Amino acid sequence: MARESLSVVFAGSGGSGAMTAGNVFLRAAANAGYYGLMSQLFGPQVRGGESAALVQISTIPIEAQPDCFDIFVALDWDKVEQFAVEIPLDENSVILADKEAGAMPPSIAKSKAREIDLPMSDPDLTRLEKALRGRHINIFAAAAVAALAGLSEWNVGSALQAVMGDKSNEVIKANAAAAASGAMAGKKLGLDFKLDRARKADRWLITGNEAIGLGALRGGVRFVGCYPITPATDLVEWLAPELQKLGGRLVLAEDELAAINMVLGSSYGGTPSMTVTSGPGFSLMIETLGLAVAAEIPAVVVDVMRAGPSTGIASKTEQSDINIAIHGTHGDAPRVVLAPTSIADCISTAESAVYIAESLQVPVIVLSDQAFGQTRVVIDPDSKRPKPMRRRINGAPSGAQFKRYAIGFDPVTPMPLPGTPGYQWVAEGLTHSEIGLPASGAGAHVAQINKRAKKLQRFEPGDFWGESWGEGDTVVIAFGSTIGPAREAARRLTAAGHPVRIVGLRLLAPLPFTALASALDGARRIIVIEQNHSAQLYHYLLGQKAIPVSAESVARPGPLPFRSSEIASYVA
Amino acid sequence: MSDTLASETHCVKAMAAKDFSSGAHPIWCPGCGDYGVLSALERALAAHGRPPHEVVLVSGIGCSSRLPAYTSCYGFHGVHGRALAVATGLKLTRPELEVITIGGDGDGYSIGGNHFIHACRRNVDMLYLVMDNRVYGMTKGQPSPTTEPDWDSDIAPGGIGLRPFNPLALAIAAGANFVARGFAGDPQGLADLIIEGIGWPGFSFLEVLSPCVTFRPEQREWKHMVRPAIMTAATDRATATAQVLAEDGFNLGVLYRGERAPVATPASTKITLADIERQFAIGV
Ligand SMILES: Cc1ncc(C[n+]2csc(CCOP(=O)(O)OP(=O)(O)O)c2C)c(N)n1
Ligand code: SF4
Repeated sequence: MARESLSVVFAGSGGSGAMTAGNVFLRAAANAGYYGLMSQLFGPQVRGGESAALVQISTIPIEAQPDCFDIFVALDWDKVEQFAVEIPLDENSVILADKEAGAMPPSIAKSKAREIDLPMSDPDLTRLEKALRGRHINIFAAAAVAALAGLSEWNVGSALQAVMGDKSNEVIKANAAAAASGAMAGKKLGLDFKLDRARKADRWLITGNEAIGLGALRGGVRFVGCYPITPATDLVEWLAPELQKLGGRLVLAEDELAAINMVLGSSYGGTPSMTVTSGPGFSLMIETLGLAVAAEIPAVVVDVMRAGPSTGIASKTEQSDINIAIHGTHGDAPRVVLAPTSIADCISTAESAVYIAESLQVPVIVLSDQAFGQTRVVIDPDSKRPKPMRRRINGAPSGAQFKRYAIGFDPVTPMPLPGTPGYQWVAEGLTHSEIGLPASGAGAHVAQINKRAKKLQRFEPGDFWGESWGEGDTVVIAFGSTIGPAREAARRLTAAGHPVRIVGLRLLAPLPFTALASALDGARRIIVIEQNHSAQLYHYLLGQKAIPVSAESVARPGPLPFRSSEIASYVA
Repeated sequence: MSDTLASETHCVKAMAAKDFSSGAHPIWCPGCGDYGVLSALERALAAHGRPPHEVVLVSGIGCSSRLPAYTSCYGFHGVHGRALAVATGLKLTRPELEVITIGGDGDGYSIGGNHFIHACRRNVDMLYLVMDNRVYGMTKGQPSPTTEPDWDSDIAPGGIGLRPFNPLALAIAAGANFVARGFAGDPQGLADLIIEGIGWPGFSFLEVLSPCVTFRPEQREWKHMVRPAIMTAATDRATATAQVLAEDGFNLGVLYRGERAPVATPASTKITLADIERQFAIGV
């Protein structure tokens, strides 16, 4: 019987090419019209360490990792066992491994998954030849699994071409040969993993990090100041050449303190600007975040969250920067905090982030995470774009002294660009008067604090606040990469006759009270799910009286992603 | 961002130093060296000839960093130590503006020391003027990276016991393209150095001896100690470094002129967002 989806892991030691295998398989499925998702697991080594590509393909969009993987392909067994907890397998799973690669480690064998021998290299080859050609077993394996899923050799071939694009002819030829024999070997296994027919359409293959980069470019970001940090680095590495093509610029700063201050400088000059970081770097930026609030300078700060505190786990995910994003920095410093609701949504949320920053003259923090950033998905390209909103640079009354920080009906006051005659003003982080001169009196302080607060109180998010899916009086509130597994859990529970509603928050601050209240309308049970130990979102919502005290909290740290079964069993 | 600014298209009448004053009353103590720096800067900008709205003064935190609001230019008074980063972001995206960074020795050499090194290395076309009073003035008298080892203070009784570092040698080593020393008590000489620093391509570093009469009253003596530099400005870094390491810190004038080209604006290709988005499309 054909199936709706298939989940496959390619795992191996450094140099085994597990990621390439995953990419080829995912792309082959995408070519055939399937949706898909590939997460990445890395060992602690900087380069060449063991890794695993976790790939799912399906006839419907995928936003969560499976409870259990269907197929585990061991390109070799070297240190692969350290991934055991992150790659759930059970007795229905199949392990494909070459007997010659040695014995299955006990941590994997414990799953009771069925092991099937898949000789991955030509038995007639000598040891030396195998070592030399062994490079291509990843492609062999990808093609074998593709054949099991019913993907055509043509789709595999064109995926191979796309993934290997810049390799020499000789390498491509050798891989094509490996793919051909892999496909043959796969068919001979006599296993049935055929997928239902797919519906072809124009689709995109994109990672969360690329999606945020693209959204930022769409929003008009033309300056990025940054300092490398996992798992945010690939976002800026993608952006650097694209920005340059568009006439913008990325500057590799000496540290995150410089990065965010460069962003404020360029933004002050009129260029929509952004910095991209992860927890440790975000912590360094906090003082300047307050400056952006006080001096009212637009800025977008992307935090691709990883496990913290301190250096934590650089390559693994967690949703534990809610507190710092919403509250980080001394004083009263209202800012906007957004979280994309899916990888596809990273594009428009990032674009909106730029518009909100520019139009409200505030820093906007985009909370993504490693599970979004470094996961590649097949999506339907969105045609609807957020409505552009620009910075107010004109319209200030001319006269004796320009009041950059004027107190009046509209808390958003024009910020003319440097170079404009007659409107000279000083961006000021000290408490200041309306003309921007430092002031230490209570009057100016209270007036300016109120002005900044009012900008956010007046902000009308409309549909942007978040999304709600499904009916039912049990409501799960989630954000970011937890929404996917929560929705999948709701889908199952609803199918089993227990309807569950999911509320995904996109706007974390300022809290969209009205929209959230109506999304929670009729709820008899409210559960807040998040991937951190201290229930940061739950306590925030509770403190803001956005949820009743009867609301429940499901909070646990990363780096393990939420499984839909985990959520479903709690909610049921 | 390549719009030509007003001064390049219209005829602008000659400006006077007072055109660059905002009229705001400085918070500085009477006799503070920073008054002399402000006056020299106003003179220099008038002579330089670009109108106030085309000039942006970027500063950090400290008595000295208060300066931007006292001028009629655009300004950015940021947080402590980060002015050079702000100025870098601004100048790279608005190269047609005249960007000048201002600060104190605590701001620039201590909390902002890393940015100082990298601004020299980056060589963005701007002037960095440091009012060095060898003390943290605003926080009421603690030793800074340029304070003498035996200077007695509440926080370091008997002296900090550390050798002060030499900001000029550091700037030359890190790649600044123009290094000079001025004195707040010599506004005309200082104005000349400012003008030359603004005009010199790349990153120009101007260290200004600016007495803190409140916490370092002995610095009033500086006016008797400074002298025009007897050595000529070196154009190779080894000679310049040897000179600034050997002298006593009271030689005024240009001490190094380099020939390094400032960071260039990268050429942009004609491409649209749609071209970029095409990379994500699957297959064909
Ligand atoms: C992050 C941070 N740390 C400390 C301070 C307190 N602070 C304000 S000004 C200053 C030192 C200023 O010294 P300097 O740059 O030499 O300027 P001066 O006041 O002497 O002109 C310090 C430490 C601050 N504002 N911010
Ligand atoms: S404390 Fe020193 S540096 Fe500050 S204003 Fe007074 S004299 Fe000038």
